[in-house]
Amino acid sequence: MARYAMVMDTRHCIGCHSCTIACKIRNELPTYMIYNPVTTDGPHGTFPHLNMLFLPLLCMHCDNSPCVDACPTGASVQTENGIVHVVDKKCVGCLSCIMACPYGARYHNHETGAVNKCNFCLDRVEEGMRPHCVETCHQKARIFGDLDDPNSEVSKLISENRSFQLLQELNTDPCVFYIY
Amino acid sequence: MIGKVDLTQEGIEVKKSACYFCHQNCGVLAYVKDNKVLGIEGDPEFPTNQGGLCCRGNIALKHLDHPDRVNYPLKRVGKKGEGKWQQIPWNQAIQEIAAKLSSIREQFGAEAVATAGGTQRTDDWARRRFMNLFGSPNGFHNSHLCWIPTFMVETAIYGWCPFDLDIGASKCIVLWGQNPGASGMPEAHHVAELQDKGMKVIVIDPRFTESASKADLWLPLRPGSDLALALAWIHVIIYEGLMDQEFVLEYCEGFNELAEHVVDFSPEWAAELTWLTPDQIRAGAYMYANNKPGNIQWGTSVDQIGKPAGATMHARALLRALTGNLDRPGADLLTGPSQDYLTDEELEGNEFLSDEQKAKQIGADKFPMVTWPGYSKISELTKKTWGKAPTAEWMCEAHPPSVFRAIASSDPYPVKALLISATNPLASYGETSVVLEALRKVDFMVACEYWVTPSAMFADYIMPIAGALERPIITNSYGCADFMLTSQRAIQPMYERRNDFNFWRDLGVALGQEANWPWKTVEEAYFSAIAPIGHAVSSFDEFVEKIRFHFPEREYYKYKRQGFATPSGKVELYSTTLKELGLPPLPQYVGPSENEIDNPELAAKFPLVLTTGGGFMPFHHSEHFQIKDMRFLRHSPFMDINPATAKEMGITDGDWVWIETARGRMRQRANLTEAIHPKVIYTQRCWWYPEKDMRDFDLGGELGGALESNGNVLTSTADDYCDPYSGSWANRGLLCRVYKVEEADLKEVM
Repeated sequence: MARYAMVMDTRHCIGCHSCTIACKIRNELPTYMIYNPVTTDGPHGTFPHLNMLFLPLLCMHCDNSPCVDACPTGASVQTENGIVHVVDKKCVGCLSCIMACPYGARYHNHETGAVNKCNFCLDRVEEGMRPHCVETCHQKARIFGDLDDPNSEVSKLISENRSFQLLQELNTDPCVFYIY
Repeated sequence: MIGKVDLTQEGIEVKKSACYFCHQNCGVLAYVKDNKVLGIEGDPEFPTNQGGLCCRGNIALKHLDHPDRVNYPLKRVGKKGEGKWQQIPWNQAIQEIAAKLSSIREQFGAEAVATAGGTQRTDDWARRRFMNLFGSPNGFHNSHLCWIPTFMVETAIYGWCPFDLDIGASKCIVLWGQNPGASGMPEAHHVAELQDKGMKVIVIDPRFTESASKADLWLPLRPGSDLALALAWIHVIIYEGLMDQEFVLEYCEGFNELAEHVVDFSPEWAAELTWLTPDQIRAGAYMYANNKPGNIQWGTSVDQIGKPAGATMHARALLRALTGNLDRPGADLLTGPSQDYLTDEELEGNEFLSDEQKAKQIGADKFPMVTWPGYSKISELTKKTWGKAPTAEWMCEAHPPSVFRAIASSDPYPVKALLISATNPLASYGETSVVLEALRKVDFMVACEYWVTPSAMFADYIMPIAGALERPIITNSYGCADFMLTSQRAIQPMYERRNDFNFWRDLGVALGQEANWPWKTVEEAYFSAIAPIGHAVSSFDEFVEKIRFHFPEREYYKYKRQGFATPSGKVELYSTTLKELGLPPLPQYVGPSENEIDNPELAAKFPLVLTTGGGFMPFHHSEHFQIKDMRFLRHSPFMDINPATAKEMGITDGDWVWIETARGRMRQRANLTEAIHPKVIYTQRCWWYPEKDMRDFDLGGELGGALESNGNVLTSTADDYCDPYSGSWANRGLLCRVYKVEEADLKEVM
């Protein structure tokens, strides 16, 4: 069984937002639903002594996912390979998961009433393809793969580089790793 | 699956198409069924983008059938600028336009018809061919701001200009006023990959850009002061013994004159002009000269500094020559024009234009470098060495601001018709007030367009043209590089859209040019262009499907075999070509078009330094503001201001702010950032608001907000602000002031 994860190479991310747009367009999301915004951390310092980093965000597909725990209807689920997603027809739009998610990765779809989120492009992954945001990245700053396979690119990148996860202190155990 | 589209369904064809939203033309795989594109993705086998697509590439389907697209020929039925149109058949439009142009030619001469094109958003060679056959020398682009002057000045020095970098083996790259991180994503990727392997990256830019944030060395110079920096680098390289002596001795002419010329241009001299320290200047020169082979990547900022532009290009070219970074492995390559296929120049039909008409080209008397005087000279030299010339479309054009002024004033002679193709001059050309006057006054105007832009509002006819996924594409730097990447249409153009090739051809045929338009379709023309390569294919589409790319075997050190394409056959550090054109043979120091040293009175009134014109994601030039799936990223225009400066003026983050120069004022919102020097202001360029009333002001409209937040409201195109070599005008290094928009104005803005 695979454990899907994403590595963000902050050395290469250049803040172009291609992933944000690719996701929205391909998944036909309304304007207010942005599954993977790219944030700018900086510039820090005083001109001209500066540094700046781009941090692409998305659902962290946490091993210990508070959103799944918070869902009263069983609409928010996690597949065996770790992908957290919402079964639309079971979702009653109570928004509990939105409040539970510390990463702000869930959105209320005003048209369907359901809550939607990044699902690592589940349909594509099942066909052996990569998520749209990974495919579109010129900078190869997003790398997708299987954490359980020690020879996968994601495993190697994590073991060979310094990395961090967002809000590690909450013990959500995110499956998105930022290398730097 | 692409989103919800099942790619395994029956009847789907995969077309090898390309993006058409900037000149990178990234490869795109289009999944097509029944002449409908169901989905697209980046082509992983395409050598540049390798499967990647930027924001713009991703919105291709939103662009393809956007409700605001122009789909049928439109004829004006209301007043100019009123936006009242009648849909008419394509052929009727062609016949009526042809009749009008014919009568203008009879009465005022062919030169009274001018045309303008967008940045490779069109079939440029076809427009040029039409103009040559029609007899007018007055075609142009915004090419003066986009590397064309650089090409011509560098070709004068060493016989061609590097379009190709042999970056794989490079140890150092200089991104001179270039930010591929926000403009050319494939390039940003290659730079990042090589940086991982140890290549040094120097970014010269007043702003701490995306690219600067990844650089090994960032040199934040005063906008427009590039010449002082380049001269100081030359000084360091010569006087600190960093040059390639063997190359200079054997292959360069005029070294002694140059050495003497730069003796006083020390880093200490340049420090005051560039706002860099002598140490910073030296660090850059050392990094470039000591990490060989190295590259200075082409970028367009130096084309946009106005008065000192030509001299800066010259000085920058000398840096390559002094370090021997020319046509050797890992350096900047002089490929020459392609020897294997027909270049744009060979399709343009420049032989059809008489010398008498060439002599009438507007601006040629003032700015020789990218008009017929300079082009003829360069073309003769390159033909002798390479057998071919650079493309004349781009490299040899009328001076745009002078054409706009001629429309308004009939000086030097009347210009009565303006045909624009995928360009929005109100947003993209300098000094918007001059452009606006011309568009209002021009007797007859046609726009070949995707959208009804603020400029197209003044047209008598709007012709619908084919966009991304609807047109075949050859990407080869117009034949000024030796490679070729080709792509096919994914679908036939929708509605009554056609390639602008068809527009120019149909118009030509209606004006009796049929014998000189041997190809009925773009594919036929492109097939004739690729045929000399010699592949056993019977159509352009077959070439794309089976071959697609052409990369000739690389030959380094061509100069050892054939010399440089200059009068002496050597690199002319002291340029006889420039001298013969009445220009300085060595780069003379000239200050920025406006600066605090030469213009202290102006600086007292406008104490800050403006830089505008730089690209920013997700837009390209003046495009895509109507695509809300991207616009949400940058819903309103932002200017960068240092927090200390903002504080002095009571400006807080997000405030609407006036930016004013001696030409006028426009407003953008404040982005408080340390990424910029306290005395420098950066504004976004070319903004307009498709959501606003498109009618002209006197008809109760807002002209699509084309004057509200547009960087070009601030720029000057007066002759004495322009580069005497090429006539390019300044977007960077002008003097400005900023102040908060008052409450009363705010309502108007929102």
